[in-house]
Parts: sequence; C-alpha cells; structure tokens
Amino acid sequence: MNQWEVFVNDVKELAEDTELELTVRTLNPGPHKFTYKRVRCQVSSDLKKHADQLQVRLGRGQLSQSRFSIAVLGEVRRLPAKYA
Amino acid sequence: MAAPRSNREFIEACIKSGDAVHIKQEVDWENEAGAIVRRACELAAPAPFMEKIKGYPGFSYFGAPLSTYRRMAISLGMDPASRLPEIGKEYLKRTNSEPIAPVLVDKKDAPCKENILKGADVDLCKLPIPLVHEGDGGRYVGTWHAVVTKHPVRGDVNWGMYRQMMFDSRTMSGAVFPFSDLGKTLNDYYLPRGESCPFATAIGLSPLAAMAACAPSPIPEPELTGMLAGEAVKLVKCETNDLQVPADAEIILEGEICPDYTVEEGPFGEYTGYRTSPRDFRVTFRVNCITYRNNATMTISNMGVPQDEGQLLRSFSLGLELEKLLRSQGIPVTGVYMHPRSTHHMMIVGVKPTYAGIAQQVGQLAFGSKLGPWFHMVMVVDDKTDIYNWDEVYHAFCTRCHPANGIHIYRNAPGTPLYPFATPHERKYAVGSKVVFDCLWPVDWDPVNDVPTLVSFKNVYPQAIQDKVLANWTAYGYPPVK
Repeated sequence: MNQWEVFVNDVKELAEDTELELTVRTLNPGPHKFTYKRVRCQVSSDLKKHADQLQVRLGRGQLSQSRFSIAVLGEVRRLPAKYA
Repeated sequence: MAAPRSNREFIEACIKSGDAVHIKQEVDWENEAGAIVRRACELAAPAPFMEKIKGYPGFSYFGAPLSTYRRMAISLGMDPASRLPEIGKEYLKRTNSEPIAPVLVDKKDAPCKENILKGADVDLCKLPIPLVHEGDGGRYVGTWHAVVTKHPVRGDVNWGMYRQMMFDSRTMSGAVFPFSDLGKTLNDYYLPRGESCPFATAIGLSPLAAMAACAPSPIPEPELTGMLAGEAVKLVKCETNDLQVPADAEIILEGEICPDYTVEEGPFGEYTGYRTSPRDFRVTFRVNCITYRNNATMTISNMGVPQDEGQLLRSFSLGLELEKLLRSQGIPVTGVYMHPRSTHHMMIVGVKPTYAGIAQQVGQLAFGSKLGPWFHMVMVVDDKTDIYNWDEVYHAFCTRCHPANGIHIYRNAPGTPLYPFATPHERKYAVGSKVVFDCLWPVDWDPVNDVPTLVSFKNVYPQAIQDKVLANWTAYGYPPVK
C-alpha cells in the first residue's frame, strides 16, 4: 500500500468514482518522500475501496480530516521531451 | 578579526564565540531540523550546526546563519558585541568603496567540484533537502542560497535568493516575483523567445555572499561580496553552462529554467510569519548537474515569526540601501532603520525637517525605487527622535502623525504576493498599497507658539539639574542604570 498526499483548495475538488488528474506527493518513507507526480486516478471516501491511501491538505498546508483511498491509474507526462 | 571567507570558516567562528552550537546527535530532515532552527530563531539562540542527518551520512546542516546582529557582526569580521549603528556604518563604508571584481579559479582549486553528479546520477533526493515546516508544499532546497543567472544581452549577473522547492528528483519550482531582477530577465528575454534560461543554485555560501544575494543593491552581487569582504570572491565555471559560481560553496545545482513547463509550488512559511501565498504553477527549474563538497553543509533559513535572517538581514540592507538612495537625492536624512520585527515592512526615516512635504518626498522615492515592493510603510520622524529606539518612534507616531493630514496612501503600487493583509487578487497579481506616516511638525507652525514642547528629562530640565540628578542617582537610593 502506498501513501499519497494532495493539496486542494476545497475537498469538493476530489470528486469520487470518476477519473481525476491530480498532482500527488508520496508519503512513503525513504529519500524520495514528498516528491510529486502528476497522475490519473480515482478516489473514494471508502478507505477500503482502493489499494492506496490519500491524505489531503488545504491551501495553506492545513491537514484536512477527510481521508480517501486512491487508485493511481497512470502517470501523466507533462514534461516536454527536450528536458527529459 | 578577518571576515570569514567561507561558510565553514563562519561556522567555526560562530562556535568559537558561542554564537553556534554543535549538535552531535542525529536529527531528522523531516521537520526536526526545521523545528530546531525555528526555535533558535524565536529565542535568538546560537545557530545550530547539525552534524548528523538521518539517512544522509556525510552531510550536515547549518541553520539560522544570520538571524542575530552578533552573527552579522562576525560575518563582517567585527566584534560580535558591535552595536547595530556601528554595523550599519561599516556596511555603508564598505559598500560605498570601489567595487572589487571576482576572480575566476581553476576547477581543481574549487572545493565545490569535489563531487560531480551528471546524467542519470542527478537526483535531488541524494541531498538532505529538509521539510522545513510541517504543511509546507514540499522540501525546500533553497532557503539560504543564491540563484545565479545572467542577462544574455546586457550581461548583468544576478545572485538572488528565490525560494526553491523540490518537485521531483530533477525538478524544482520557485517563487520569482515579476519585479525582481530574475523576474524582469525572464519576462524581458527568455519567456517571449521560448528559450531556456541557464541557472545555478549555490547553497552554503560564505555569509557575505549570502548577504550580497539578499541585499537590494544596484551593485552586482559578485562585486558587492568582494566589497563587503575586502577581497575578491573566487568563482568557478559551471560544468554544464557558462555561469560562474562561488568556488567555496557547499552545493551547486546547475540547470535551466523552463519557459514552457511549470509545476506547482508552495505553500511555504515565509518571513512575514505566515504561509500566505497560494499554491500555484510557478517558475520551474530543471536540474542537469549537481556538484558538492565532501562533507557538504546545507544551510537552512527557517522563516516565520520574528526573528530570522529573512527579516533581520533584509531589514538591515533595505534600510541602508534606502539611506544611500535618499542621500544621493539630497534629502536631509539623518538615518534609516527598519526594525526586523516589522518583518521588513516598515521603514523608519529620520530627517532634518527643513522644508514642507519632505515626508511625502521620502515616501515617493522609497516606494518608487527598486526597493519599494518589499515594504509598504514609511514613517518619517525628525532628527531628535532616535530611530533605533522603538519607544521614541512609537511616541512620535502616536502624538505627531495627524490622522487626517499626516497619513498618505498610495494605491495600485507593486507589492509582493506575500503580504498577509493583501486580498487574493492583490496576491495573485503582486499589487500593493503603500502608506506614509508623516510624524514631523508642519514647517508652517510657529516653533515657539504652535509646536508642543516635548516633556522629557532630557528636554525640559537645565543641563546643570540633569547633571546633578545623574550624579546623585544612586545616592537617592536608586540602583545604577546600565
């Protein structure tokens, strides 16, 4: 199970059971903790629905009480190839 | 006492004078190191030199490098007990001297080249980048550093302290305000052409190089560093671009600013004492090479409520640079001081009030200059008010500033998105409002019959009586006054 975190202005941005594109950061322990990825995903307030867990922070870093499970469907590559 | 030439010499000098503590137990890069630095700032305690970082053997941290005037004095090679006006006088003397050009040294003589990571080896996570505050948008690589860039046409070199957050192993994002030197270069040249802007981030600079990077001086930072140190700063060419960086810096990140790719940055706890600016897509830095010294020390500034070096050093240099500007314009200024606890938002200017409208003239010059976006309050007091004594300044403000005639407001000026009071619109578009508090008696008042008499020990008693009372003070039964 992976732990992820997302920053949103409003928890309502996390529409359930629909495909979303989010910038999430890993909370998994290790040197890469807090690095980001842009992903396609689905989230659910049912914490058992998806394999990974998602924690939410609001606009100024406040930790939200809302918790979600998340299924990461794939990574979104936005970086132009010339920078790869 | 000579000015420390490098971050390492500075740490050693601070430990020797009791202005730094050597922490030998392991600390965690996630919050713990940041919390130590924050508490040290809030207590004005010695700077923490943290020798062991969890998961990062061979690296260390040095926090709160210049968050006290004592450490600022040490950085200039002065007695740590030097008083602020003396430190300011020394800064003005050195920065009014002849520029000292940097010298280019060979790679073999540059400690920052002791380790070089290129290609697939480049991974920012190999560095102990701290999570400075719980709830920050990321781990901040650059909190006490210089982002080195060069205008491709004019050739101007800029070292600026633009905060940088690690986004992924090779990408950083940062807050670069449009009115800053780098902001102007990007908007003037690189972004319209869609060209990448080469950059290098130098971390663990000598304290005077960091002071130069922080100062809003018109003098190029490499020359300014030389003037402050009294000797040329040594630079070395980057591995992957033509920029030159301080040879003795602890860590160098080389890369390019992407004109066509942005990632999110923030939020981040800032010098105002708040996390103010919204998370947004900001200037994005792609890292192509990392070089670093053996046993590299990463510097951390933990900004928040007073007082940290963001407030102390910025207040110091903004005030003195404004003093230089006002003198260059012939204003009868007697001194300029910005109290660090104003989080460099209020400029206190002392003048000889020899003509009408002088306070507004000071405000217009201050707000209209390159320095202007960084503060929004100018308080003008007369030359009899001690600008360093907040009690006197506050008394002048509360008693001499006419609520209707003495407060002058300017709207739609440049501001920073970090102003905590700014509206969301103002933050997004870096719009500010400014205010001048005129605490001078109007020049058209009769000095005998209109101007109130200050009732104080120094002002109302004859000198002979003052001398007698002072001489007998302890004889009256009072303890000595320090």
